[in-house]
Amino acid sequence: MSDNERSGAADDDLSLPKATVQKLINEMMPNEIACAKDTRDLLIDSCVEFIHLIASEANDICERENKKTIAGEHVVAALQALGFDDYVEEVDEVYKEHKKQQKERDRKSTRLENTGIAEEELLRQQELLFAQSRQKFEAQQQ
Amino acid sequence: MKKKYKTKFPVARIKKIMQLDEDVGKVAQATPVLISKALELFMQSLIDQACQETRQRNAKRLSAAHLKKTIETVEQFDFLKDVVANIPDPIEPSGGGGVEEESESSKPTRSTRRSKTSASKAIKDQEMEL
Repeated sequence: MSDNERSGAADDDLSLPKATVQKLINEMMPNEIACAKDTRDLLIDSCVEFIHLIASEANDICERENKKTIAGEHVVAALQALGFDDYVEEVDEVYKEHKKQQKERDRKSTRLENTGIAEEELLRQQELLFAQSRQKFEAQQQ
Repeated sequence: MKKKYKTKFPVARIKKIMQLDEDVGKVAQATPVLISKALELFMQSLIDQACQETRQRNAKRLSAAHLKKTIETVEQFDFLKDVVANIPDPIEPSGGGGVEEESESSKPTRSTRRSKTSASKAIKDQEMEL
């Protein structure tokens, strides 16, 4: 990340990027109504407040379960506790999809382990390949 | 998944915002992703309901006053009352007015993070009693 992006921004001023939120607002607003600029800023503030609200509640729920990491389940429980039951279904769908994708990622990264060949054998094969290419190299030198 | 929007909230930024709260520690990878989705639903809901107010007043632009009216009317948005506290009230025909100081509603409200430590402890104490 370049320094330009960070200069002048204190942690406490952390908010959502205006341009991104503006684009989303445009996607969400009805065609015949425009959003005033100061209203947009209020919407951004509202979003940040929402994040704090959910995060705080999810954190409380997490602590009550004696867990150290705020998990997806805690977020869903927080939504229910705060009166956002109507969001639970779709958020749950996203959670399921995320878990599925994570499984795929884990599967791909262990493909080498899945060749079924033991590490010793792999090392032996590697030595053999090195020996072969050394021989070729020395042959070329003559 | 019914992805209607092209634009997405930045997940990394959401995580950073979460961690401004000193009580928030580790966060699973899924967590800011789920909050991003909830945020989408929340913003759409807020916009939909605020635009209803806009239409009711025969206006073409969603103003701060429309947003404020929505926040004060809809219980789900109680926690946003501070955000709009400075906005002047729209002129009501029946003469309603003044900002209601209902900081102690039945739903837990979160004060701004700047006054976090003592305020959050106070809120936590309240919650223990519930």
